[in-house]
Amino acid sequence: MALRISADDLVENPTPRVPVSLCIDTSGSMMGDKIRELVEGVNQFYATIDADDDAHDAAEVSVVEFNSRASLLQDYASVERLTPISTLDPRGLTFLGEGVNLALDTLEKRKSDYSGSGVLYYQPWLVLMTDGQPNGDARELERAVQRVTELVAEKKLTVFPIGIGADADMSVLARFSPNRPPLRLRGLNFKEFFEWLSKSVSRVSQSTPGDTVKLDLEGLAGWAEL
Amino acid sequence: MLDPTEFVQQERRLFIDTNVFMDTDTRRAGGLKRLFERCQDDIARNSNPIVVPTKVVDELTKQSRTNPAGLTDGKAAAVRKATNSLTFLESVAPLGLVRKDLGDNSNPYADDLFVEIFTRVGGKYEMCLLTHDITLLLRIRLLAAKTNRRLVAGGLSKEGQIEVESDQVLFEKGARKLERMQRQIRQSIDVAKSEREAASLEPLLDDFQHTLGVSPAARQPAPSHTPSPATVARPEGTPCAFSSPAKFRGPDHVLGTTTIPREGDTVRFGSATSAASFTLGRLLGEGGEGQVYEVAGQPNRVAKIFDAEHRTAHRQAKLVLLTANGLARPGIAFPSSVITTMAGDFVGYAMPRAEGKEFQSTLMRPKRFRETYPNWSKADLVDVCISFLERVVYLHSLNVLLGDINPKNLMVEAKKTVWIIDADSWQLEGYPCPVGTAMFTAPTVKGDYADNLRTMEEELFAVATMLFMVLITGQFPYSRAGTDGDIPRLIKEGKFAFQFHGKSDQDQPGGKWKYMWSHLPFKVKSLFWHTFHRDGDRYTRRPTAGEWLQVFREYKAFFGSADDFDPMSNDVYPSRFKAFRPDTPIRDCPQCHGKNAIVGEWDDDQQSYFEPELCFDCSRQNRHRQQPRPPQNTAMCKSCGRSALKSSMTYGHCAECAAKGAQLDPAQLCIDCRRPFITFDHADWFKGKGLAMPKSHVTATKQQCPPTAPSTKKPRTQPIKPSTQPQKSLLARLFGWFWN
Repeated sequence: MALRISADDLVENPTPRVPVSLCIDTSGSMMGDKIRELVEGVNQFYATIDADDDAHDAAEVSVVEFNSRASLLQDYASVERLTPISTLDPRGLTFLGEGVNLALDTLEKRKSDYSGSGVLYYQPWLVLMTDGQPNGDARELERAVQRVTELVAEKKLTVFPIGIGADADMSVLARFSPNRPPLRLRGLNFKEFFEWLSKSVSRVSQSTPGDTVKLDLEGLAGWAEL
Repeated sequence: MLDPTEFVQQERRLFIDTNVFMDTDTRRAGGLKRLFERCQDDIARNSNPIVVPTKVVDELTKQSRTNPAGLTDGKAAAVRKATNSLTFLESVAPLGLVRKDLGDNSNPYADDLFVEIFTRVGGKYEMCLLTHDITLLLRIRLLAAKTNRRLVAGGLSKEGQIEVESDQVLFEKGARKLERMQRQIRQSIDVAKSEREAASLEPLLDDFQHTLGVSPAARQPAPSHTPSPATVARPEGTPCAFSSPAKFRGPDHVLGTTTIPREGDTVRFGSATSAASFTLGRLLGEGGEGQVYEVAGQPNRVAKIFDAEHRTAHRQAKLVLLTANGLARPGIAFPSSVITTMAGDFVGYAMPRAEGKEFQSTLMRPKRFRETYPNWSKADLVDVCISFLERVVYLHSLNVLLGDINPKNLMVEAKKTVWIIDADSWQLEGYPCPVGTAMFTAPTVKGDYADNLRTMEEELFAVATMLFMVLITGQFPYSRAGTDGDIPRLIKEGKFAFQFHGKSDQDQPGGKWKYMWSHLPFKVKSLFWHTFHRDGDRYTRRPTAGEWLQVFREYKAFFGSADDFDPMSNDVYPSRFKAFRPDTPIRDCPQCHGKNAIVGEWDDDQQSYFEPELCFDCSRQNRHRQQPRPPQNTAMCKSCGRSALKSSMTYGHCAECAAKGAQLDPAQLCIDCRRPFITFDHADWFKGKGLAMPKSHVTATKQQCPPTAPSTKKPRTQPIKPSTQPQKSLLARLFGWFWN
């Protein structure tokens, strides 16, 4: 029955979707303030989307965490069916490549749901957040880099790589985003980042000057070290 | 530029004056031919021929009898045209394309006859006169303004469209004609005729200037490029038109720096010299281009203040033009005045406060629609469409394009009055609309919106899309299963998946949208299908707002009429397909008690209706619960989705679809012999396997083209349609004789 509800939910909303994938580092080094601020930021993100008419109908969020393994915390869901995250338990290593691959697999599955039901969607977004350097399987990392850069080149993915703290490996993040340099979060301004993100989701459905969505680049200053 | 087909619809009339038939200007060569080509289908459909009054035929006859000896070449060519036209008119009258029986001999000139007809029946019909006579153009325009009727006078373009000049341009042409006549009188050329012309033109121009508020600066060769705020204000509610066609003004640029006023700041209406100042009240909303504030002390007005990046020369010019004309109309947020800083810098504009809520948050999703308007029926949505169209027709009559039609620029309230907002993005006088929305962007629009003017055809794509999305509460016309959801690509492909007379339905999007579509009246469905489907005959000649308005008024009249035999047709969300015929049994579902939820399914073999025990939803639910199923003697047709007796099916297709599938697809032609070569089913097989579609008899059937058409013969460009072909070819031949 749950399956039916989710299917009806999919086809009864004709709004073109903006699939947003949050792929977040929950390795041991995220312990403490970082993880607490991050969880608050994600929950705040859900609440902001909920309050904005346009983002409310368009956004579908999924959450993948990676430490010594990758796991799907939240499959793609409209804001009405998102469950706020209570806590995350940081531990282990930084299997970034595995995390990104899982996020992309989840996205592919969702895209095929859309396609089967005739649901429209805008270019999906991938938010990749890490505070260290990847130390999973090197081949998985290479595969992830290749998949992401190919999708970006085909204009089938917008990627936001975000470094957290001074130890984040910005050069690896840069490999995921050949067009736009990765950004480093200013302090622990997760809230500002997610606020910016929800505003950007809302903008997708608004009138644009051209065929590409213009991001609110001024708003970046609120959370990024520029 | 107006589409002439607009005036061969019911309750409309299109007239042609003598001088159009005798026109020898090469810039307009072939225009008449194209006009008839454009109009012939609509004329036939509406039995509403183009009117060429008896007086015009008389004038042509008189001209054709002129002795060509001693005439200038140009004059002789015009006389030849008159002769050709008479023969042409004789030939097309029996085809029902023109009527020549109107008017008598009581008026000495055809001009007076036209003005007399337009005065007499202008209240009954919307009418258009094609003429190149400046005096007559001025007279009809003036009449329209004085009577507040839609009476259009314009010239014929090379493309067979109606060219309508702005009041100002027309006035200036009239003034130049008067000068020419006065010069001729002085030089004793054609004195009697020139005196007669001048005597009627002089008071006419006075009246025109006074009534339509055009600028007396008539000696300028062309309208000045920078609009002057000093233009005489037009009396409120008087129709007026901006220029069409207008030349693209080129790229926009941001005006220099100024301090953008905020809530609580004092600003001025108009200009630095204007006395009226006011305070910006509470911030009401933030958009992509600026902020909207209350106007302190004026609850019915709001002020839009641009942010620095959107305070541009084009926006200023557009707003000056719009406010100078004093336009006002309920439901359209016409700018009422420009707003400047106290120092006189342009920062925004004031407009009436629109009522209601955005279409986006009320009509564009079933969940929101049910929450906002739980008691609305389909007829209410039709009212919303009519209200929207009335406003669009009016703006188009002013030569204003909305440009960025989208569900966030349109508002609606409980009384179903639609408001059009965002005037600063409209396209007028060569200033483009700089923004757009993917779902409403015609396939021909390229690159950044600000780089080009949009065409009326492109605007009409957005109009059609909006109408569809209101009726179907948010579903996009090109949504279908099996795509990657790329909106511009879906539009470009032109595959409209909703089922209409055929097999085009396999990719219909999931959900109940197909039921909603099924209940639309045939005429509405047909016009949508032909507009959206790349094989439709209105795909590149989209219906005008006026045509849609008529169709939606008919839709409104459909409710409660004899044709309205299925009670579910007035539900916004029907739970099943529309009943087949008025005698189709309809009853409530015994399980969910859904009203009228069960409808009989016609069985062609039995020549009777099969009545399911439960409604579709309940049978589906029961199947999911694994309860004992009702006897499975029916199954869903793989093509049309309707259920049919299994015994009547062929490989999962109902009898109707199977027959259709075995037919050759007339749209696919063999590249060798140019004739249809592949059946629908065969083509689907290739599609289903993801294989490249064959292009000829040889590749599809491994056999040579059938011998009846040896490939040495000249290929045909189109399959023959026996019923229409003879008439078209006659018309084509007539065109060939007279105009080539």
